[in-house]
Amino acid sequence: MTAVDTTDAAVPTRGSSQAPRRAAPGGARRRRGSALDRALPYLLLAPAVIAILWMIGFPVLSVLATSFRKLNLRELTRGQVVWTGLDNYTQVLSDPEFWAISARTVVFTVLVVGSSVLAGLLLALLMRQISPVVRIVLQVSMLLAWAMPLLAATTVYQWIFDQQYGILNKTLVRLGFDGFAGFSWFSTGASTLAVIGLLIVWQAVPFLAFSLYAGAIGIPRDQYEAAGMDGASPWQTFRAVTWPELRPLLMMVTFLSLLWDFKVFAQIWAIRKGGPDGGSTTLAVYQYLEGISQSHFGVAAAVSVLMVLLLALLTFQYLRRLVRSQEGAL
Amino acid sequence: MAAGAAALAVAVAGCGTSSSGSDSGSGDGKTLTVWLMDGSAPAALTDALHKEFQDAHPGVTVKYEVQKWGGIQEKLTTALTSNTPPDVIELGNTQTAKFAAEETLEDLSGDVSALGGDQWLAGLKDSLTWDGKSYGMPFYASNRTVIYRTDLFEAAGITAAPTTRDEWVAAIEKLKAANAADPDFQALYLPGQSWYALLSFIWDEGGDVAKQDGSAWTGALDTPQAKAGLDFYKKLVDVSGTKAPKDTDEATPQQMEVFGTGKVGMMIGLPWELAGAVKANPDLASKTAAFPIPSKTAGKTAPVFLGGSNLAIPAGSQNTDLAKDYLKLLSSKKYQDMLAEGGSVPGTSTDTAKLATNPVGKALAESAPNGKVTPTTPTWAAVEAGQNPLKDMLTAYLTGAKSLDQATGDANAALTKTLAG
Repeated sequence: MTAVDTTDAAVPTRGSSQAPRRAAPGGARRRRGSALDRALPYLLLAPAVIAILWMIGFPVLSVLATSFRKLNLRELTRGQVVWTGLDNYTQVLSDPEFWAISARTVVFTVLVVGSSVLAGLLLALLMRQISPVVRIVLQVSMLLAWAMPLLAATTVYQWIFDQQYGILNKTLVRLGFDGFAGFSWFSTGASTLAVIGLLIVWQAVPFLAFSLYAGAIGIPRDQYEAAGMDGASPWQTFRAVTWPELRPLLMMVTFLSLLWDFKVFAQIWAIRKGGPDGGSTTLAVYQYLEGISQSHFGVAAAVSVLMVLLLALLTFQYLRRLVRSQEGAL
Repeated sequence: MAAGAAALAVAVAGCGTSSSGSDSGSGDGKTLTVWLMDGSAPAALTDALHKEFQDAHPGVTVKYEVQKWGGIQEKLTTALTSNTPPDVIELGNTQTAKFAAEETLEDLSGDVSALGGDQWLAGLKDSLTWDGKSYGMPFYASNRTVIYRTDLFEAAGITAAPTTRDEWVAAIEKLKAANAADPDFQALYLPGQSWYALLSFIWDEGGDVAKQDGSAWTGALDTPQAKAGLDFYKKLVDVSGTKAPKDTDEATPQQMEVFGTGKVGMMIGLPWELAGAVKANPDLASKTAAFPIPSKTAGKTAPVFLGGSNLAIPAGSQNTDLAKDYLKLLSSKKYQDMLAEGGSVPGTSTDTAKLATNPVGKALAESAPNGKVTPTTPTWAAVEAGQNPLKDMLTAYLTGAKSLDQATGDANAALTKTLAG
């Protein structure tokens, strides 16, 4: 994208210098030279563009093609190509479980993205108010949480929420909530997903808080001074000054969080493999079960394509604005 | 462009068709790639075997690679797709049908007698037979026995190892009473999702996990026999008051580590698990023995799940004949005895004399002929590699989240769906 934009922009600036050349009469050699001149940037860019398109585009096309094929272990090992048309899609879409899992995935994603963006925003605003020492302590601890490897964090959460030996149940019992002795946090899909959601929010907050804090310190101080002079309450100041300035950034991090949280797999699989009874199975886990566990690679590819469509639907508003704002900029 | 071209080359190689090689046994500079699993064959066995094989086949090198069980199914799928797969692979017996049914393995039906077919362990033989053809050779098997503390049994006044379910439950109660002073003591350590143990109880009742109708399999977990097996599991958990988590299997935490603490009277485990406990707590070596899982019928032992491995030759192997020679050598009595000595039930020899020399091996040898395997269907592998309905069923019933009928009904529906592919 960027590469093409740059060339587009380059043409008009050169227009003036090219005009006299075009005016020159009958210069066949010159005209050929100018055609080459015009094509040259594209030719120079071509290898890079083709390489990038191949590396990014090929996997996408391959998934798309696979989703129309019957590709089980047999076809894979023998290199057979069996086209089945829309069979994979019919199979997936007629499975009531797929719809239940899709609904669960969407609700889970929206809740996790909502809470992590909100928590990130609150922390970012907090960081502006507190003393530098406390802020640095806060930033270092967030950085450490962020740097923690995914599966290590997942294991720690499993220990915290362990039925027998978990620190959480022990603490709750000490505090007088005797009902939590031996309480299983992973006995239903909803509570399992709640624990997983908490883990994902915990991992996502540092990035969101840092990004939004960077945006927040960029808001000119005098705007706040002006609001203060007008007698605005803290809430009014937030509504009138902070919110409009942070909105584009908030939109972007929300969009990114949606992309990340929608396809999260490792944490869910590591905690209960999408169980109990499939109660914490999301689309990413469903795809793994179809593709890797059962070796139905064609069906799994169809699920990926459907996931991309669903994600596009979820982020439709943002994508529309993104396209519109770029048109405006051009 | 170079990167793109390389990607293309890889992609093309990945899709290539596999040609079945049929090179003759003698060959210079040939390499026979052998993949065995972690913990399968003792190093003494493989060292001697590879030396003898290379001496008999001049110019051939055996490339021996030890694989980890975790993620092996994915790794094998990738390896079997390539143009140069390994020549000999080890497959878990519950995975074999999946690979056999997809015709990714060499049909060894013609070589069965050369590979000691008349002595093959019945449970493993079933697991590698698909559509009447043999797609491998039994390697070794092992099964669960009840591993117990002889000193604690004596102290509690239990004179003989239990041989029926009633005696077993009585032993648990005696142990519990004798150690009532220690709040951390568990007469039997039994985690909620130890589903291989559950299989024994279901089979002992005369039931099964699934039944075959033509080529289709449907779950049989809602039968009265399966329900009775599940009920006995719950009885064991209730009577023993085990503190093991109800929502994990014997690997989380490793039950051998719990047994190694010395606060456990019994566990239903494999020989290597006892070895692990002894390694952590060497005192246990002289204080432990094992008895076969008791049956509800006096004079019998409960059928056990025969865990084990088969050896197979990938259909795409370039050295099929060499690989067959390798299997033939391994199936000879010398190496089968070494397997038995290492504590496993040998796959191609009925002679278990070497195994019966230690108490755990004796219990193993006693129950192995009564060994059974999970349904021999290609879709079973997905039950274990995905979300296992048997585990969900156990947890739901043991925690009281579901009634017996509801837990077995739900699990049966899920199992039938997975078995249908």
